[in-house]
Amino acid sequence: MLQVELQQPIKKRFMEPMIKINGLKKKFGDFTAVDGLNFEIGKNEIFGLLGPNGAGKTTTINMICGLLPPTEGVINFSGDEKKDHKSLIGYCPQENIFYPKLTCLEQLQFVGQMYSFSSKVLTPRAHELLEMLGLKEKTNERANNLSGGMKRRLNICLALIHDPEILILDEPEAGLDPQSRILVRDFIKHFGKQKTVLLTTHNMDEADRLADRVAIIDYGKLLLLDTPQNLKKTIGDGDVLEMTFENSDEKKLDQFIERINRFSEGIKKGSNFILIKHPNIIEHLSEIKNSAESNGLFISEIKLRENTLEDVFIHLTGRNLRQ
Amino acid sequence: MKTISVIKKSTKEQLRSFWVLLLTLSMGPFFIFVYYLITESSKPQYNILVVNADMGNREHTNFGNDLISFFTTANVDQISTPFVVHKITARNEGIEKLKNKKADALIVISESFTQRLFALKNRDSLLTSEIEFVGDLTNTNYLISAVWANEIINRFALESTNNKQIIEVKETALGTSATINEFNMLVPGILIVSLIMLMFTASIAFVSEVENKTILRLKLSKLKTIEFLGGIAVVQLLVGLASVVLTLATAILLGFEYQGSLIIMFLIAALTSLSIISFSLIIAAITKSANEVLVVGNFPMFLFMFFTGAAFPLKGEALFSIAGYPINLQGFLTPTHAISALNKTLVMDMDLASIVPEIIAMVVLTLLYFAIGAIIFNNRHLKLVK
Repeated sequence: MLQVELQQPIKKRFMEPMIKINGLKKKFGDFTAVDGLNFEIGKNEIFGLLGPNGAGKTTTINMICGLLPPTEGVINFSGDEKKDHKSLIGYCPQENIFYPKLTCLEQLQFVGQMYSFSSKVLTPRAHELLEMLGLKEKTNERANNLSGGMKRRLNICLALIHDPEILILDEPEAGLDPQSRILVRDFIKHFGKQKTVLLTTHNMDEADRLADRVAIIDYGKLLLLDTPQNLKKTIGDGDVLEMTFENSDEKKLDQFIERINRFSEGIKKGSNFILIKHPNIIEHLSEIKNSAESNGLFISEIKLRENTLEDVFIHLTGRNLRQ
Repeated sequence: MKTISVIKKSTKEQLRSFWVLLLTLSMGPFFIFVYYLITESSKPQYNILVVNADMGNREHTNFGNDLISFFTTANVDQISTPFVVHKITARNEGIEKLKNKKADALIVISESFTQRLFALKNRDSLLTSEIEFVGDLTNTNYLISAVWANEIINRFALESTNNKQIIEVKETALGTSATINEFNMLVPGILIVSLIMLMFTASIAFVSEVENKTILRLKLSKLKTIEFLGGIAVVQLLVGLASVVLTLATAILLGFEYQGSLIIMFLIAALTSLSIISFSLIIAAITKSANEVLVVGNFPMFLFMFFTGAAFPLKGEALFSIAGYPINLQGFLTPTHAISALNKTLVMDMDLASIVPEIIAMVVLTLLYFAIGAIIFNNRHLKLVK
């Protein structure tokens, strides 16, 4: 596996770091889930933590939230010194966690009270959050009766009721309908202008649209850290041709790659697909297609698209993110 | 402050879990009703028909009517007679009812009953009064009815004529069979049964935070374990006391005559509730969902119900004694002491001082259950993962 650690310094806008992670390591027996992470997250920054399932994203988040003690390393927080660590963080887990028998307002008030806030402060804040996340109409509705998208939005409200400095979102757009997705995305962007947001996702598009900076991790290690634009540049400009085959004979695939190597600035091979990168790949499409067929490969799908963060990940790890 | 919030939230959740709450609250009254039916159906009762043909005398005295009243109130050696007396007007009507097994015996008081008793009283005549017994001689109920009725009539005759019995027969009842009725004996145990049912609501209240994963929100917040557990325990204590009130009210409506102080009874009920809630914490600590509680909780529930004397009276050999207070195997379960204390208070009218050993045993066991439950619950569900 290619291991690159390019840590871009926090931009001017995020000069002041909110979270500093140094040599963070977590071991479960012999298994190392997080292996020496080092990075900083700035104030008012939306920071994306990318990686496939099992990369160590949730373990990292659990350590930041204080739910899991690190085996090694330290996590430092800055910000309002009056606030303790628990008050600083608002955590929205991937799974919707709420009290099914309480109404939206009741549970926001209850969770807020657990952070020592009075009802006087909490009630207007709860109404404000519910309105911002499109749940005003459901204020007095029991959470159990909400739709999936509404539950997800309520989950975000619950993470924010105690007015944290840092919002941690684990796969915030997972399972959301398009309307809810836009609403949540807009809310995160809005929130990120005032506070710090750390989001984990394996959805590259989500990270590309939302994050100011993105850290790609796999096997618990940091592979790359930069803005989405800069990350895409690390594998060069141009288009990507994604070709999927009905049959996946390794020998035939290798012969085919050898023949088309001259058209490409980089070829990545998967189990039954290849990614061919070239600034002007469209001109060579016909020739590439003929070459595949003459090598006995039957094409099931051809996709031509712009360079994405997913290509960056595949370039780094040599495997598809969704595997 | 946070404990109050947990109490409010837990109360709302409890009230909205309507069916679970209804089941818990209705179990005690239901058991009372079932036991009432069992004791009532097993209690001997004899239906006696009486035809009063007595004409009375000129002074408007009618000993026939007085005898009927005497039947309903008479005791034989402090044992209340289990007679239900039905007054009818015609002998034939009575015979018809006897044939249809709607009564056990028919007593016909003669026309001259008052006059002859008066004559005997004034020593004017030696003619005896005549009373006719009619019944199926092969029917045991008739034979018992006739024996008891004969005894009562003789006593009435002696009292009415100011005479004394020639032979005084004294009857001695074995055990408590004469003084305490069976239903009254069972009620203290059933009051504890109503609290044992609390095991399910309390365990589910604790474990629902784990099942819904909302325990994560509490772990992330500033809530302390004791505030969380204490808040839920207070709500469950109220459910327990409500259950006891409903059960006791049902028992009283069905004829339970309690002795002693209700305040002491509520003290015992509150301690028992806390003990059951603490034990529920152990169940919640080793389970992860309401379904698991319903499966795992069955074993301790049956143990608490049938091994402590709650569902039916139970005696056990003492393993050892502390300051004269015997401890047997079931003594490690709080309901054993609670039932003993309730029996002393509600049935035997004993004071607070007499139940001190039981109260000490209950407090010690409750603290033990709570400590075990809180440690396991904290380690399994609330503590940080290592």
